[in-house]
Amino acid sequence: MDWLYLLEISLAGIGSGGLYALTGLSFVMIYKATKVVNLAIGEMLMLGAYLMFGMASNLGWPVWMAIVAAIIGSGLGGAIVERLAIRPMLGESPISVFMVTVGLSSVMIGLVELIWTADQQRLPEFMPSDPVMLGEAFIPPKLFYGFLVAAALILIALAVFRFWRGGVALRATASDQAAAYSVGINVPRVFSLAWIAAAMIAAIAGIVVGSIGGLSSSMGVFGLSVLVVVIVGGLDSVLGALVAGLGIGLLEALAGGYLGGEYKLLATFSTLILVLMVRPYGLFGTHEIERL
Amino acid sequence: MKQKSIVKWLGSLAAAASLFAAPVAQAEEDIVIGGSIPMTGVFAFAGIGIHAGITDYVKMINDTGGIKGRKIKYVPEDTAYKVDASVAAFKKITGQNKVNLYYGDSTAFAKTINPELERMGSIIMAGASFATEINDPKKYPNQFLVGPDYTEMIGILMRHIAKEKPGAKVAFVYSDTEFGRDPIDEGEALAKRLGLNVTGKIMTPPGSVDVSTEIVKLRRAAPDYTIFHGYILAPIPEFISQARKMGMTSQFMGTFWSMDNSMVMKMGEAAEGFMGVMPFRYYYESDAKAPMLEKIRKMRPEYQSNAYMQGFLTAMLFTEAAKRTLDAGKTLDGKNLKASLNTIKNFDTGGVVGVPITIRGNSIPVGRIYRFDSKQQKMLPASDWIHLD
Repeated sequence: MDWLYLLEISLAGIGSGGLYALTGLSFVMIYKATKVVNLAIGEMLMLGAYLMFGMASNLGWPVWMAIVAAIIGSGLGGAIVERLAIRPMLGESPISVFMVTVGLSSVMIGLVELIWTADQQRLPEFMPSDPVMLGEAFIPPKLFYGFLVAAALILIALAVFRFWRGGVALRATASDQAAAYSVGINVPRVFSLAWIAAAMIAAIAGIVVGSIGGLSSSMGVFGLSVLVVVIVGGLDSVLGALVAGLGIGLLEALAGGYLGGEYKLLATFSTLILVLMVRPYGLFGTHEIERL
Repeated sequence: MKQKSIVKWLGSLAAAASLFAAPVAQAEEDIVIGGSIPMTGVFAFAGIGIHAGITDYVKMINDTGGIKGRKIKYVPEDTAYKVDASVAAFKKITGQNKVNLYYGDSTAFAKTINPELERMGSIIMAGASFATEINDPKKYPNQFLVGPDYTEMIGILMRHIAKEKPGAKVAFVYSDTEFGRDPIDEGEALAKRLGLNVTGKIMTPPGSVDVSTEIVKLRRAAPDYTIFHGYILAPIPEFISQARKMGMTSQFMGTFWSMDNSMVMKMGEAAEGFMGVMPFRYYYESDAKAPMLEKIRKMRPEYQSNAYMQGFLTAMLFTEAAKRTLDAGKTLDGKNLKASLNTIKNFDTGGVVGVPITIRGNSIPVGRIYRFDSKQQKMLPASDWIHLD
C-alpha cells in the first residue's frame, strides 16, 4: 500500500470538494430563501469568471480590482435576474420557476459567447504557485488556496444565518413566508438579498474554478456536479453542502486514483442514487422539502 | 396556317427553354465545394480559419481562370459544430447545388453522412476530422483525411522520441471522448515495437475542471515524455504547470488541435518547451522555400491558424483531384475524383507541407515536430519532416 499516494489523492479530492461545497453554498442560499431550484448556478459561476477575465485581460485592470469588480458585478447581475425574471414568478408553480432558470442558463451562455466568443480562455495567474507540501505529500497550490477561500466563506455563511438579523430573516422567510410577512420582514428584499449573495459566492467559485480549469462557455457543466452535491447534502442545508461537497470530491478522487478517470462520474451518480434511496431529502435536508 | 402557328409555338417554347437552360448549363460548369463549417460554437476558432483557407485558395484558382475554364464555387453553411446542423447543411447545399466536393466539420458528421455519400456516389469529402477509423478506403471510399490520422500523429511523435531518447518512458494523457481514445491502444502497441516504455495511460473525464488526481498519477508514472491527446487547451496548461512545480522534467507534447500558435500562447508560462506534431508549416515560417506561404501572407498580413492551412490544403487537393479527373476526360463523380486523388504522388504543395506529399490510403502520413520558443513566442521546427511508411 502506497500511503503517500493515498494521502495525495485524498488531499486533492478534499481540495476540489471545497469548490463543490462553495458552489453548493450559492445554490443552497437561493433555495433556502426562495425555494427556487436554480439550474443556472453553473452559468452564474461562469459569468463571474468571465467578468473577471474581461476586466483583467481585456481592460487590463489589476487582478485584485478585477476580482472585486467581478464579484460586485455578479451581485448586481443577481439582483437584476431576481427582479426581472424570478420575482414576477412568485406564487407560480415550482416547475415554472425551475424552467425560467433553465432559460436563464441559455441566455447567460449566449451572452458570454456574444462578448467573448466560444473559444477557450485562460485567466491571468494570480494565486501563489509555489507547491504546498504536507510532509512528503504535494497539494496543488490552487486547490489549497481555493479550499481556504471556500472554507472561510462557508463559515461566514453559517455564522450569518445564525447570528445576523438579515440571516435570521432569511431563515424565517424560508420556513414560512406568510408568517415572515406578518412579523414585518420585507420578504421581497430577502429574496433580492439571497440572489445577490448567491451570485457573489458563485462569482468567487467561478474565479477559482476558472483559474484551475480555464474558461469556456461550457464551463457551466460544473454546476451539474454541484447539483449532485446539494441533492446528496440536502437542498436547504449549508452544512449538507459542505459535507457532501467534501465527500463527493474525495470519492471522485479515490475512484479516479484507483479505478481510472472513467469511474469518477459513475461513483458520483451511484452515490446519488444510494442516498436518494435511503434519505430522499438528502443527508441534512429538511424532511418537508417539496419534490419536483 | 395551323402548321405555322405550331412552329411559332414551338419556337417560343424553345426560346423559353433556352432561357431556363442557360443558368443550368452555367451551374453544371461550376465545380462546387460544399462545406459544413463551424463558424460559431466551441469549434469556431478552427472553423473561421478553415473557411478563410478554402475561400482564399478558391479565389486564387478562379483568378487564374479556374480548372479547364470551369470556375470553382464554394458554398459554406454554419453548423455551430452540431451534427444535426451539419447534416441539415449538407442536405441544403447538395439540394441546391450540384456538389462535387465537400468539407465536413467533425468525425461524428463524417460517420453519419458516409452511407449518404456512398448512395449518392457523386461527391468526395474531407474535413476537420483526423479519426483513425476514417483512414480506411474500404469503409470510407468517398472520404479522405487532409493530414495524418491521429494514430499516425502519435506514430510521428514516437519516432521522434525513439530517435532522441531510445527506450524512453512515455505517458499518454487523454480525454474520455471518442477523439481522446482514438489513437491510444495503437499508440501503446507502436511504443512497444519502437522499444519505448509506456508507464502511464491517464484518462480525464470530459469537461472535468480539476485534474489534480491525474497529475498525482502522472508523477508516479515519471515519464520522460508526456503526450496529450483529445484536448484543445484545458487542462494541458494546468497539467504542465503543476507537474513542473512537482519537479517533473518530462517533455510535454500535443497533437494537431492543441498545436496552433495562438492556442499555445494562451498557455502562458506552461507553453515554454511545449512540443507536438504538425503536418503543415506555420504561417510565419519565412526561412523555407514556400511560395504558397508567401502568397498567403500577401493576401492576409495577420497571423493565420493551422486550421487555415488545413482548409487551404484541402481546397488545393480537392481542385487537384478535379483537375486530374477532367484531364483524363472523365466525369466528376465520387469514384473518379477519389481515383484521381489517389494518383497524387510526390505532390508539391508550394511549401504548405515542407515535403512533397503522397496520399496513401485515406491519409497523408507526414508531419514534423515543433517546439514552442517563449522568446520568439512561436512554435519552431524541432525535427525534419517525418514520413511514415
